[in-house]
Amino acid sequence: MAHKTASSRLWLSAIAIAAGGMAAWWWWPDDRISAESGGLIRDGNASFIVTKFAYALGPDAVGTDSCPNGPSKNVAEIFSETANGKRRAGETDEAYGERIEAGGRAISNAPDGRNFCVNPEIAPLDPNTQIMLDPKAQAGGIDLDGKNSRSKSDLTSGRLDFAAADGTTGVDNQFWRAVGCNRSYQQDGPSRGFEEGMYVGEWGILISLSGVDDLENDSDVDITISANADPMMLSPSREALDYGTYSRDREPRFRGQTSGRIENGVLVSEPVDVRFHYVVNGMYLERPLREARIRARLSADGVMDGYLAGYTDVVELYDFQFGYRTGKDAEGKPSDEARRVGSANGAARVLGHTCQGMWQSLHKLADGHPDKSGKFTSISTQYKFEARPAFVVEQSGKNAKQTK
Amino acid sequence: MANRVSSLMANMPIPARQFVVFAIMGLMLAFAAVMLFSSDEPDPEGGPPTVRRLTEEQYRNAIADIFGPETEITGRFERPFRSHGLVAVGTGAAGISPFAVEQYEVSARGIAASVLSKKRRAAFLDCGPKNETEFDAACAQKFLGETGRLLFRRPLSQDELSGFVGLSRSATGQLGSFYAGLELGLYSMLIAPDFLFRIERVAAGNDGAIVELDAYSKAERLSFFLTNAPPDAELLDAAASGSLDGSWGVSRQVSRLMDSERYPEAVRSFFADMLEFDDFGETSKDPQIYPAFNSVVAGEAQEQTLKTIEDHLLENRGDYRDLFTLRDTFLTRSLGVIYKTPIPKREGWQAVRFQPDANRAGIQSHVAFLALHSHPGRSSPTLRGYAMRKIFLCQEVPDPPASVNFTAIEEHVDKANVTARDRLDIHSTEPSCAGCHKVMDPIGFALEAYDGAGSHRTHENGSLIDLSGDLDGQAFASTNDLAEALRNHPETPRCLAQRMYTSAVGRDITWKERYYLDWLIEGFADDDYQVPSLMERIATSDNFFAVVRPMDQPARRVAKNNAANGDGQ
Amino acid sequence: MKSLTRRTILRGAVGGAAVGVSLPFLDYMLDNNGQALAATGQRIPTRFGTWIWGCGFIPEKWIPSATGSNFALPADLEPLAPYKDKMAILSGFDVELDGVANKPHITGCLGMRTGIPVPDTNVKAPTLDVLISQIIGGETRFRSLEISSCGLENSYSYFSAGSPNPSETSPAELYKRIFGAGFVDPNSGTFEPDVEVMTRKSVLSAVSEDRQRLMREVGAADKHRLDEYFTSIRQIEQQLELQLQPPAPVENFSRPDAPDSQGAGSEIGDVLKTHRLMAGLLARALQSNQTRVFNMLFSDTTSNLRLPGETTTHHTLTHEEPDDRQLGYQKQHSQFVTQSMLGWRDFLDALSAIPEGDGTLLDNCLVLAHSDCSIAKSHAVEGIPVMIAGNAGGKVRTGFHMAGGGDPISRVGLTVQQVMGVPVERWGHLSMETNRTINELLT
Repeated sequence: MAHKTASSRLWLSAIAIAAGGMAAWWWWPDDRISAESGGLIRDGNASFIVTKFAYALGPDAVGTDSCPNGPSKNVAEIFSETANGKRRAGETDEAYGERIEAGGRAISNAPDGRNFCVNPEIAPLDPNTQIMLDPKAQAGGIDLDGKNSRSKSDLTSGRLDFAAADGTTGVDNQFWRAVGCNRSYQQDGPSRGFEEGMYVGEWGILISLSGVDDLENDSDVDITISANADPMMLSPSREALDYGTYSRDREPRFRGQTSGRIENGVLVSEPVDVRFHYVVNGMYLERPLREARIRARLSADGVMDGYLAGYTDVVELYDFQFGYRTGKDAEGKPSDEARRVGSANGAARVLGHTCQGMWQSLHKLADGHPDKSGKFTSISTQYKFEARPAFVVEQSGKNAKQTK
Repeated sequence: MANRVSSLMANMPIPARQFVVFAIMGLMLAFAAVMLFSSDEPDPEGGPPTVRRLTEEQYRNAIADIFGPETEITGRFERPFRSHGLVAVGTGAAGISPFAVEQYEVSARGIAASVLSKKRRAAFLDCGPKNETEFDAACAQKFLGETGRLLFRRPLSQDELSGFVGLSRSATGQLGSFYAGLELGLYSMLIAPDFLFRIERVAAGNDGAIVELDAYSKAERLSFFLTNAPPDAELLDAAASGSLDGSWGVSRQVSRLMDSERYPEAVRSFFADMLEFDDFGETSKDPQIYPAFNSVVAGEAQEQTLKTIEDHLLENRGDYRDLFTLRDTFLTRSLGVIYKTPIPKREGWQAVRFQPDANRAGIQSHVAFLALHSHPGRSSPTLRGYAMRKIFLCQEVPDPPASVNFTAIEEHVDKANVTARDRLDIHSTEPSCAGCHKVMDPIGFALEAYDGAGSHRTHENGSLIDLSGDLDGQAFASTNDLAEALRNHPETPRCLAQRMYTSAVGRDITWKERYYLDWLIEGFADDDYQVPSLMERIATSDNFFAVVRPMDQPARRVAKNNAANGDGQ
Repeated sequence: MKSLTRRTILRGAVGGAAVGVSLPFLDYMLDNNGQALAATGQRIPTRFGTWIWGCGFIPEKWIPSATGSNFALPADLEPLAPYKDKMAILSGFDVELDGVANKPHITGCLGMRTGIPVPDTNVKAPTLDVLISQIIGGETRFRSLEISSCGLENSYSYFSAGSPNPSETSPAELYKRIFGAGFVDPNSGTFEPDVEVMTRKSVLSAVSEDRQRLMREVGAADKHRLDEYFTSIRQIEQQLELQLQPPAPVENFSRPDAPDSQGAGSEIGDVLKTHRLMAGLLARALQSNQTRVFNMLFSDTTSNLRLPGETTTHHTLTHEEPDDRQLGYQKQHSQFVTQSMLGWRDFLDALSAIPEGDGTLLDNCLVLAHSDCSIAKSHAVEGIPVMIAGNAGGKVRTGFHMAGGGDPISRVGLTVQQVMGVPVERWGHLSMETNRTINELLT
């Protein structure tokens, strides 16, 4: 893995800002802008807005041999299987339901009252959280590390690469192993896709290519992947429109610049750290992806379709996906504690997992960025996306939405 | 006399003689130049005085001017009636449906209630009875007289005023409140024909003779023409003082009105009328075919064109004809989607200059024009060609004949890769169609470079689109050529001058006025086709106020001598 | 136009202006047992309306092969089987042009409605709904209601040239207009005349009285326009007058729910939906005596109906679609006609859903349904399809098909006017002038 140093990232950021400033100066004179006609490529630039975005996961695992112990359980289910959680004679549905919920809440906290969603590291091992170790399980995506890890030790460690339906081997998609046995990550579950937020303007992703001569074959293109600072433009039937204008987020950490190539209509990028916005229940979060790379097919009419994959820091992933501990309000201040704790516990209850269980699985299955002690700190994560033609501009002034 | 001059000359020294000769020649040349370049206005001809309905905009402007823009208008307005290319002319012929009167009544109730509400009445009344249940005649008289003068655009006669005061008095009695009574007095003014119609009155004169409008009707013509709103107090004062009877007084008011904030609005509303933007109310596009087009975009598209016109004609004092080649415009991000143009500015309007090869020259290449003159699911060279002829060149194209043989067209539709030209080529070969379609379609073909929502394209159904066509002998092969041809067409400025004048007087031009129209066009050319100059020329011309009272119409009483509450208050 | 001149209408307006403010409501007895019509002894009013669809028909799918009362319904009329006895099908009646240029989709429609073909929209006489409303429209809040379900404000109802009556295009606005402010629920049980309304009415009378002064000041053409204004003011006075009287209770009436639809353009599915909403509101308005006359535009005469995602409209199809080789007619055009007849059935469903007296509201209506032409691609105004639905309270006979054999279509206009009480014995101009009532329609 090619790790970029902190200083090189800073340097790139500086270039990005300078370039952005130049572009802004060019785009943002007091007087008229100059407009030309043309298709997708203009002055060697072609930009896209991501219109579909979801975790790239495999076929349903719950109910198959891939999850031999059944699905992961939430606290209410766990409690109901204890002796105390059994239904008592004459207990009404309502009373029993209330008791189960209360019991579930009780086992969500440590004896000292600290909540496990906020402090997952203090929780005992949750045996009711299943991980998907099945070596036959499939998942699509990109081979991130150039290795096809399928050895016996890989099987024991759980760091086992996938084969994809399209024939790709060595697919690193440990996040799928972590959530594969959770009900809400199955095909019709609510956690696979989360693009509604994109369509209501909470967050968005822009991809710009520059130095493009030919969308079919070009050995060297520059690529910028950035957070969108503007709401998506939609048709009356709420579909994304082509050729809308969007501004990049002004903060350097929300934009990644890299290079790549197009071969026979397939765009492949070099890895770059990127970071997007994400909003849950009014809490502003960040979705980072280290060493992110794109492999996507470009159609003649400018639709990009493929994978964006990389590694997500385990703690950050836990926080934007499960624990919401870093949630901020619109002003950039930490969200109300009750909202953060309530949302994390509520989500776990509804979606069928426990906070501590997910914390433990993510750490167990992590496969990237080892620390000094050799412990992996990030987990391979694959997204499937579609992007459509757009114009991307630099913005003076504030972002349309607060994203601190 | 001649002898004396020649003997005087003969006695002069040679250089002095030469000087006089040159001086006289110089004067004659100058005179010839004046004669040549600024001919005098032809004598006034006059048309009939008109009774014109207020347009929706004029109604709204009147209420906003008199009672404040925050005064809500709750009634709805029926679709305006268009005649001779303009709603402004239609107002002189339009009837009034029961629906319209019903809605005026709703608005009148709402406006009167708002103006005399506890919260707002102090802004309009500086008097009132001590006891609210009692009627304060002096106060009512003052309020109704002053408000009535603004609403009716003339002072009320003594009889009229005492009528309204009497109504308010009895309503106060019935309702037990002075303000409720006054509210009904105001309501009755707001529903009165004198408010809803501009009833022009004529100064004394013989039937059939050319006479002038009375001073208040002059004020009305001036203010609605130049501000699209009723006369303000100052203009009414000018009418009362008699200063509108002289050209100096008129000129002074014309400059004042053209400097007012309402003037650009009046220019915009003239063009919105000429461009038939009221038809947008019934224009919709298939969202599956044109997903970027919705009612918001339709509104912005109209604003784009009007903003462009205002900027060019007023800000830059540009040549009217250049509107057809102009590549400067303003766009929003939503419009940017249809124009496939990046718009850095997030909110509001981005000034844009299209490059010469960008296929966007002239207002006929704007989304507003292109989308309005298309079908819901596709473009139409015929509709666009027809609209260009009618709107920009004032040319009439007859209705299609009812009995048309469509077989040839039907045979064509089934073929693969057809373009609109393929469909319409049939028209020019079928004799019953050819006459008109040869007039409409060829100029519409260049605009086939845009789909039914106005986006630029090069292909239709997979076939390359052929943009070539012809405008009255001027062949073209691109949108830019069409722009030039429209700009340089001799009818282009003539049509505008005619529209502007008919809009101002609210009726079609009369046969006898054609010399006046020639004179206007000549002046328009002298003024480099600047529209404000044309408007000023119209507003200060004698023809503008001239009317011929039709034989069947008795002389109208001039309200001035009978004014109840004093002139020039 | 002999029996009813404009002068009579004017006299009505002048007379109206003189009406004072004394109100005859105190001696009015409210019925409190809900048996409104029977118990109050009120006669059920008859109502008149038009229903129009654009672009004609496919003759072989519409014209029954037999005439008289023993006939089979052809394909496009098949959905109307439940109303076979409630309808008279009139085929083969012509608009006679007499050399007047046929403005496609306009001349036929207005020729049928005014008896005088015109080459544009400058009608030379009021449309027949206006003539009828002058007889039966006076006692209701609205002289007439114009409604359009396809997003266009057209109604093909004209007081005169330059005075079209605009259609409501939004169900929500239509509701507000009928059942919003000013609506008095006939069954509310309590009634108290509003002093404010009373006062406003007297104020409006004063406005009417000002008429003479203005009439002295304007020319003939403008007099006519101001007449329209004063007639409308008179209508508002009438509306207020009605608000001052306790309304006669109406059997089985309840105020409908307010729709939130603003109308939705011209896609056929949306139009059918909008149309059903509007027909329901209209039926309630007729039932509660808000109006006795209506004009319903299902689709414009130059029909703008379309299918989602299609580049063509119904009208453009009539000119561009080739005849289907198997079927022998334009297939897609035909589908729009079929849909239009389904819309017509929806309309009759709405009227007959309201029980009234011994039957339904439909029995007490006369609805004149027609198109603007017969064969749309040639804009033929010969044989324009016509249907009469409802029995006008027993005055009209239905349940038969009649072939007009090229008779002037003004016979239809003459007959419906006579049925509705317009004193007219001869109607139309030149070849369209007729005094031949269609006796088959009379009971």
